[in-house]
Order: sequence, then C-alpha cells, then structure tokens
Amino acid sequence: MSDFQNPILPRMAFITNIIDETSDTKTFKVEFEGGGKGDFLHEPGQCAMLSIPGVGEAMISVTSSPTFKDFLEFTIKRVGRLTNIIHQLEVGDQIGIRGPYGNNFPYKLLEGKDILFIAGGFALAPLRSLINYVLDDEHRKDYGKVDIIYGARSVDDLCFKRELFENWPKKQDTQIYVTIDRAEEGWDGHVAFVPTYLEELQPSPENKYALTCGPPIMIKFVLQNLQKLGYQDDHVITTLEMRMKCGIGKCGRCNIGSKYVCLDGPVFFLDQLKQLPQEY
Amino acid sequence: MAVYKKISKDNLVQFLQELTKDRILIAPVREHDLVSFSPAADAGQVDFTFQNSFVPPKSWFFPQTEQIFSFRIENGKYELSEPSLPGGTVLFGVRPCDLKSILALDPVFDGKFDDNYYSDRRKNTIIIGLGCQSVGRGCFCFKVGGGPLESNGADIFLTPAGGDFLAEGVTDQGTDLINKQSRFFSDSSAEQVDKEKREGTDRLLKQPTGLKGDFNLPKLKAFLDANYEIPYWEELSYRCLGCGICTYLCPTCHCFDINDYARTGLEGERIRCWDSCQFKDFTLMAGGHNPRPSKKERVRNRFMHKFKYHEDRYSIFGCVGCGRCVQKCPVNIDPRKIILDLQEVAGNE
Repeated sequence: MSDFQNPILPRMAFITNIIDETSDTKTFKVEFEGGGKGDFLHEPGQCAMLSIPGVGEAMISVTSSPTFKDFLEFTIKRVGRLTNIIHQLEVGDQIGIRGPYGNNFPYKLLEGKDILFIAGGFALAPLRSLINYVLDDEHRKDYGKVDIIYGARSVDDLCFKRELFENWPKKQDTQIYVTIDRAEEGWDGHVAFVPTYLEELQPSPENKYALTCGPPIMIKFVLQNLQKLGYQDDHVITTLEMRMKCGIGKCGRCNIGSKYVCLDGPVFFLDQLKQLPQEY
Repeated sequence: MAVYKKISKDNLVQFLQELTKDRILIAPVREHDLVSFSPAADAGQVDFTFQNSFVPPKSWFFPQTEQIFSFRIENGKYELSEPSLPGGTVLFGVRPCDLKSILALDPVFDGKFDDNYYSDRRKNTIIIGLGCQSVGRGCFCFKVGGGPLESNGADIFLTPAGGDFLAEGVTDQGTDLINKQSRFFSDSSAEQVDKEKREGTDRLLKQPTGLKGDFNLPKLKAFLDANYEIPYWEELSYRCLGCGICTYLCPTCHCFDINDYARTGLEGERIRCWDSCQFKDFTLMAGGHNPRPSKKERVRNRFMHKFKYHEDRYSIFGCVGCGRCVQKCPVNIDPRKIILDLQEVAGNE
C-alpha cells in the first residue's frame, strides 16, 4: 500500500438534497460524512469524477460555486447507464467523488471587467459555478456588469429556474435574458435560438469577456456572432467535454492534439482553441 | 559513481539468485515458443536466447488488467479497499528499446497526479538491462535515437561479450548492488565496456535490416506541427483493420479503460485494463458525439501521439523502435515506412 494519496481512489460522500431541474436533469447536493466539503476545494469551472462502485464513473462539472461553503452540487443529465442509475439515487445514498480536476475559469483576470455569459440547455451547469462566484456578495464589487443570455428548447428544459427568475435578477448590475426555442403556452418571455438572441441584443464587447457553454451547434453560431460583434478571440472563453476515464492525464482518451482536456482544460480561450486540431 | 565489471553467465544466475532472495524476479521466461516477462521462481528459468518479448515489459509496471480497489457494502455503507502492491522486485533482461520506453512512460504516470500503482512498482523495482545480440525483423531503435547496447533507463546494464557479460552500474542503486555482491564479478573498465559496446553496435548494425533512407525525427515533427489535415492519413486508414494490436504491444502506449464489476451489487471491484485509441468506442461520449469517429482520425492520433504529442508533452518521442507493431500488424502497416512516406510528403510541400 502506498503512503501517498491514491488519486484514482474515490471517497464516498452522501447525497443531502436532490432538485429536479427538468424532466431529465437533476441537481445533487453532496456532502462528506459529518457534513461539508472536507478538503475538496475547487475553483469555478473545475470538475470531479463521480462514481457508484460496481457501476462506473464519469466526469461531471462542479456546478456549485466555491463560495457555497458547506456542500458541493452536481447537475446531471440522464444520458447513459451511470447517469440513469445516479438519477435513481435518493437523499442519504452514497456517491463516490474524486477531484477536483482540470483548470478553472480565470476569475482573477475577469476582475474589473463586465462579463457576458451565454449558455444553452443543460450547459448552464459549468458556468453556474462562476456566475454564483461573481454574484456572491463578497465578490460582486470586484466585477462589472453581468449579462446572462440563456436559452433552452422549452420551458421544461430551463435549468436553475429559481436562480434565473428570482435570485440572479435581484443582484446589482445584473441582467438575465432567457429565451426558448419555440413558443409555448404560458410563456410570455423571449422566443429565439440563443445565437439569434445574442445578435438581437448586440452586447458591446467593450471591457468585456464572453463565456459560453452549450451544445456544439449553438457554440458554433455563438462564436460566429461574437466575432461579428467585435469580440476578440482572447476575450472569449468556453469549456469542452470529452470522454474521460482517469481524469488525471494518463488514460489517453481526452486529448485534443497534445492537450488533455482533463488537465489542460476544460476551460479554453478561443484563441487557444484555434491553435488546437479541430478534433473535439 | 558508475562501476564497470565482468561476470560469467553462471555467476550472473547466482547474482540474480542472491538479489531475489528477498525480491520477486520478473524475467524473460519461455513458454511454448513465446517469451514473456513473467515471475520466475528461480533465476535458472531465465531465457537468455530470446530476441525480445512478445508483450513489452511495461506490463510489470502497468499490468494488462489490475484492480484499483475492491468494495463491499456493510450496514448500508461502502467499504473500499486498495489492493496490496508487490514489494521489492528485480526486472531482468530488459532490452535497450524497452528501457527507453520506461523513460517515456515515467512522466505519464507521475506528474501532478502520481499514479501509485505504477510508481510503487517503479520505485521498488531494480531494472537490469540486457544488450542485444541480434537485430530483429522489425527493429529500428538505431533509427530513432537509440541503439542495441544503450544502457539508459537501467540500474545495471549487461553487454554480452563472448559467453560472458560486461556489467555497468548505471544508477547509484545499480552500482551499490554490484559492489555488495562483488564476489560474482571480475574487474573491467569503462574503456573496455565502451569499446565492446561500440564494436558490438557496429557489428549488429552491419546485419541487413532492409531499412532504406534516413529518419529525421525533429524535421518530421516540424512537419506534423504544421500539417494536421493531410490526405495521407485517410489513405493509410483504408488498410488499417482497427484491431489495436499495435497499441497493445507498443511499449510506450499507456491508454487504459476503467470498469466496474459487481455480480451481487453488494461487493465487487473496479479494475483498469489496457485500452486502445484505435477503437471507435474509445472516445464515444454518452450523448453520442465522437471526436474521432473514423479510422482516419484514429490512425492519425496514434502516429501523431508517437511522433508529436508525446514529444510536445514530455520532451521524449513516443516511439523507441522496438518493432513489435511492425512484426505483428496483420496488414503490414509499418511505422518505418510511414516516417519515410511523411518525410517524402514534407519534402514535396
């Protein structure tokens, strides 16, 4: 047995709350035995390997902000075998965690700047850690205006509804723009695809960083529109996903060229992405 | 401090017996014409006639399958336990290409996250390298910066000399072990060892290898740095069967999968096993997206990894010229030919 900590051995934690975000997405609040985050200290944008012994493991972004002192949150969509079983877990059940992994959003670099968040569907989850960090009372003064453009297919597919409609709009200098793809009964908000909404809103690039996360097709058009609006590649930030097994740069499957998304990512500036092979 | 000695074959066997009184011996062992690095109950079982093993000796540090942990559920709670790893080991008979491959694997498994399973074995293993006496059908170590009598990566390196061996203590640990067991050795010198290695290398490289053309890896890498999309990869992929044998037998390939087994649900294990970037599922994501959906991307990934990515990350090329993939590819995809082809493409650019 080794005398140093084994990086691929999970620690077991407990699920202490479950929120149904949409019909296929839930947010799991997780704490270690005796409460709290233990020594799991993450930065906004980092990820963790979640697992159920006997079933499997997957890399999931930590959606809670580090400013949430007593727990971790993971927003998980039901897409495969493991996530199906995780969705059957109940409060009090155990789940394995190892991490945190990867780089993080450059929250120091963003200080003094305006921030534009653009997200689609369930992919608001990784950005949410930074949104809540920036909007936290202790940090809000360090950042300029915050605009959040967020869309989903339907009202049901919108995640984090309470924060979107109640908490975040109350924050100082914070604008939330929510849209859905197709009109539906009972929705009097905006209807448009996210890239189109971005084009309509025309947020100025001045003194501003844009952070975007969403399905590949949304990202493609959002990036085009940001460019049209005058955003420089070194002021546009996104996160990538790849299949991962180890999470620590050894199992070899999440490489894009010479970079491992698990170690060198998941957060990339657009100018960095353009240096990489288009294989993601 | 290096030390240079000479040892007879009989004494070498006794030296190994002495070293493995309190250590495991992993050495080339022949079983039905197949030589593999396996536990040898006695140094007398070691095969000295082998050219190289079928499976590279990386399998000692990074086994084909290994348990990460076992678990059981007791009173509704998971209890995880880590396997115990082997203690002191002598890994004997590692050829120079494979010695170099271990140096290429080390930076993968340590770094920011140290992999205990590899590092524990690595720390507890004395590596005794064994120089080559013939050039194999696929061998090309000497074309990629190595040589058949290169000692780099060993603790002790043995150069065959007549029926005897010249022994070098390459690391302090290797030197110590030779000094402690000096009764098995007779005197030699740096000059003598150097001369034998030079002459031996010349002799070996005079053997016909069927290899034409010079390799220029830095130039090849510069070409790969600048050229990602070239039609060559697609052409090459038509022939590839995607069987993955090249990756399984490659001494520097380190990709692995992690899987769980739990027949009862109440107890089970998580294991890791070798995996291959040549398989479609390797990068297939739960949502259905696959960044390397066809053989073109996968074949490209393998060669780019060997001749660019590994060098980018760790400043060492990922090919040591052992020739296993050359010998075992069912459709004769030959990286030596690929290097020459790409150099030609680069020349025509």
